[in-house]
Amino acid sequence: MTEQEAIVFENVKFSYPGSDGVFAVNGVSLTVKKGEFLSVIGHNGSGKSTLARLTNGLLEADAGKITVLGLDVAEGKNSLEIRKHVGIVFQNPDNQMVASIVEDDVAFGPENIGIEREEIGRRIEWALKAVGMEEYRRSTPTRLSGGQKQRIAVAGVLAVKPEILILDESTAMLDPKGRREVIEVVRRLNKEEGITVILITHFMEEALLADRAIVMNRGEIVLQGTPEEIFESGDRLEMYNLCLPRITEIINTLNGAGMKLDNVLRPEELAEGIIKNLSARGISNAKSSPASPAEINSSHEWDIDVKNLTFTYSKKSPFATKALKGINLHIDDGEFFGIIGHTGSGKSTLVQHLNALIKLPQAEKKYRRKKVKKGRPAPVLPEITVGQFNLADKKTDFKALRANVGMVFQYPEYQLFAESVFADVAFGLKNFNKKLSAEEVEKAVRESIEIVGLDYNEVKDKSPFDLSGGQKRRVAIAGVIVTKPRILILDEPAAGLDPLGKKEIMELLHKLHREWCNTVIIVSHDMDEVAENCTKAAVIAGGEVVFAESPSKLFARGNEILSLGLDVPLTSKICAELEKSGVEVECDCTAEDFSRKIIEIYGGGENA
Amino acid sequence: MLNDVTFGQYYPTKSFVHKADPRIKLLALIAYIVALFLANNFYSLLLGFVVLVAAVIASRVPLGSVLRSVKAIIFLLIFTAVLNLFFHGGEHLLVEWWIIKIYREGVIFTVFFILRLFFLVMGSALLTLTTSPVELTDGIESLLTPLKWIRFPVHELALIMSIALRFIPTLIDETNRIISAQKARGADFESGNIFKRIKAIVPILIPLLISAFRRAEELGDAMDARCYSGSKNRTKYKKLKFGWRDLIIFILYAGLITGVVLLNFYAYRIFPEIYEFIRLS
Repeated sequence: MTEQEAIVFENVKFSYPGSDGVFAVNGVSLTVKKGEFLSVIGHNGSGKSTLARLTNGLLEADAGKITVLGLDVAEGKNSLEIRKHVGIVFQNPDNQMVASIVEDDVAFGPENIGIEREEIGRRIEWALKAVGMEEYRRSTPTRLSGGQKQRIAVAGVLAVKPEILILDESTAMLDPKGRREVIEVVRRLNKEEGITVILITHFMEEALLADRAIVMNRGEIVLQGTPEEIFESGDRLEMYNLCLPRITEIINTLNGAGMKLDNVLRPEELAEGIIKNLSARGISNAKSSPASPAEINSSHEWDIDVKNLTFTYSKKSPFATKALKGINLHIDDGEFFGIIGHTGSGKSTLVQHLNALIKLPQAEKKYRRKKVKKGRPAPVLPEITVGQFNLADKKTDFKALRANVGMVFQYPEYQLFAESVFADVAFGLKNFNKKLSAEEVEKAVRESIEIVGLDYNEVKDKSPFDLSGGQKRRVAIAGVIVTKPRILILDEPAAGLDPLGKKEIMELLHKLHREWCNTVIIVSHDMDEVAENCTKAAVIAGGEVVFAESPSKLFARGNEILSLGLDVPLTSKICAELEKSGVEVECDCTAEDFSRKIIEIYGGGENA
Repeated sequence: MLNDVTFGQYYPTKSFVHKADPRIKLLALIAYIVALFLANNFYSLLLGFVVLVAAVIASRVPLGSVLRSVKAIIFLLIFTAVLNLFFHGGEHLLVEWWIIKIYREGVIFTVFFILRLFFLVMGSALLTLTTSPVELTDGIESLLTPLKWIRFPVHELALIMSIALRFIPTLIDETNRIISAQKARGADFESGNIFKRIKAIVPILIPLLISAFRRAEELGDAMDARCYSGSKNRTKYKKLKFGWRDLIIFILYAGLITGVVLLNFYAYRIFPEIYEFIRLS
């Protein structure tokens, strides 16, 4: 043990009670140097979070030795001392705060270790400044965004003045903006304050920022090295249920077609590399054939039409907020539609109108038409039609509407309740149609469990709470599609899943779109997800529809989208860079399509 | 169903009363209640009324909000008032019908009784209207501190209250989300008889409980990781400070109690005819 070592794991093993001897961490040896920025990657359940809890003694290792700054974690008397030095920020920002006022919450840690009052005050100021939240000292955390809340959680940990900061999937529940905010803070703390950082994540793009990365699988370290080295071993990553960053995938495809590109990690560098390769073949100005917009075959039977939709939360209270300010939107039957916008843009409020979870004012029982004053134009009333349903009409059969417009909320697994998977999936079906015979119910439940990719006989009698996270989500989706809705709406369907889980869920949605429902609408803040999957997308910002176009047209407006605080897909960033050098690539924004078009141009060069 | 984001009835403005120390406000409320119960005649009660009016004006809370607080106990008020009215004995009979006899003394006592309760409820409402739940918790913790001597877990109690306050909005949001999700699956919470409605709550209650336990577990880990180890060797950042406002309030309420006590003894000298007429037996 030298002065330079922050954390040393020596052949550490750990298994959770009741896991039948399956080791969550199995023989891990690891040394983290002081001041290092280490990222730990692995799919859900690979043991990476267990690692964090072992480090500060929240969990006790079964075998092996863990030393933190020279202190043995296994010795009970060290536990408080170690926790002073190792700060952990957890996943859910809501579940880490003890107080209703920011400064009281940040003070919690220093209070626990008996710091004097004046010094606590200074630490609060310092910690909040370090995370860029000094203006919010007297605010209430509940009114902050996810990213802001998580920065408060970081400040709360910093106030104890730890030398080591562990982020245990702290960005998994945040939107891209919040994620950037948190990662930016952590990077700065590492560079400027010299704090040792361990970033546990399954976002490959975040792992790239570290000095060193390790990959975990089944409790073991399977790969380690610099991020570049890790991503060179692409096929192995897939074996460990991880994905390559999109940029590496593109580079691999292009290199496969004979280009010579370095393994870079930033879009600007890739664009530069492509230009070099092209000019080597004497191509300086080029234009790819325009993307052919995917035409959908629409019967227009289940079109959605929204006109002048406005909505205010907490009307008549001091906290009234306008969520929607006049939405006009048309969604054709048969689309795979994306609704994009960051947290608080009103996108969730919008979709809750589509199955009348939020009813239009005219459809409320108590609604009376207001008298129009003479000489003034009649107020514009919002209108929504979904297929043949008119949502502005009190007499509409809203139950039938909800049976036809399925809605899957964010983290739908948290809404499971029944004693068996079967009962949970059948819940909706029985609510909508009480006259179904037992055989009909069983048939429908079997079909929907099977289409979400689960084995009916295996899971039907299990408690939904005994399933894994990904399986729970599938059961929750089955519980919505069991009524065979014509339109399926999903709010952040892939939130919190690891890369492979995300991929599988999106594949499932495409399958449902082909075989089960007419229209699929996903609400998302992941631009790449929308670009790769949707036939059309709408951007919602500040309670209004800013654009509604096909993704390729949409993301061609890169700067406008960036100015709304949203991200653009990686491909459109590269395209923008290429255009500066005279290479115009029109692509429909999927990584596949982009690679194909570049190869097309490359193949068309004089020296080919 | 649970649309209101706010909880409690805190009315945020920046008035004299809002800025006062929560401890002095709590003590003032206790003093006020004591004064109301010490009062044995209408003159003393009038003094209590004057203090209440002064406090409401100084708080800059709309009168409507203060009056609304009485709504909750209106049934109780009427019920006890009627009982008092019918069964209070006396000398001057006003109405006699079947077995019911109403005396002048009964009427006077009922009015006195209603006014006293009325002032009491409005006074308490004023405290919760002008003091945020967080301040109130801090105040209670500080006032209970002496109980540490008899090993009463003051700090733990305060932490429990603080965490409960912190999680109320979070759990309200969660409940709303679960309700929407089950509604989207055709659940019906608004029709059917009482048993059907109780049964309909199960799909909300179970996910909510599970989530509350999950949150509790995660919060426990987070607190552990932030070095929480009970009240031992713990310092406190927030310190309440008495200011000039609190001195004024203190003097006012000391004055109120003195005034009430003095009036209890010497009120009969002020307009003796009126005093005699409305005297409580």
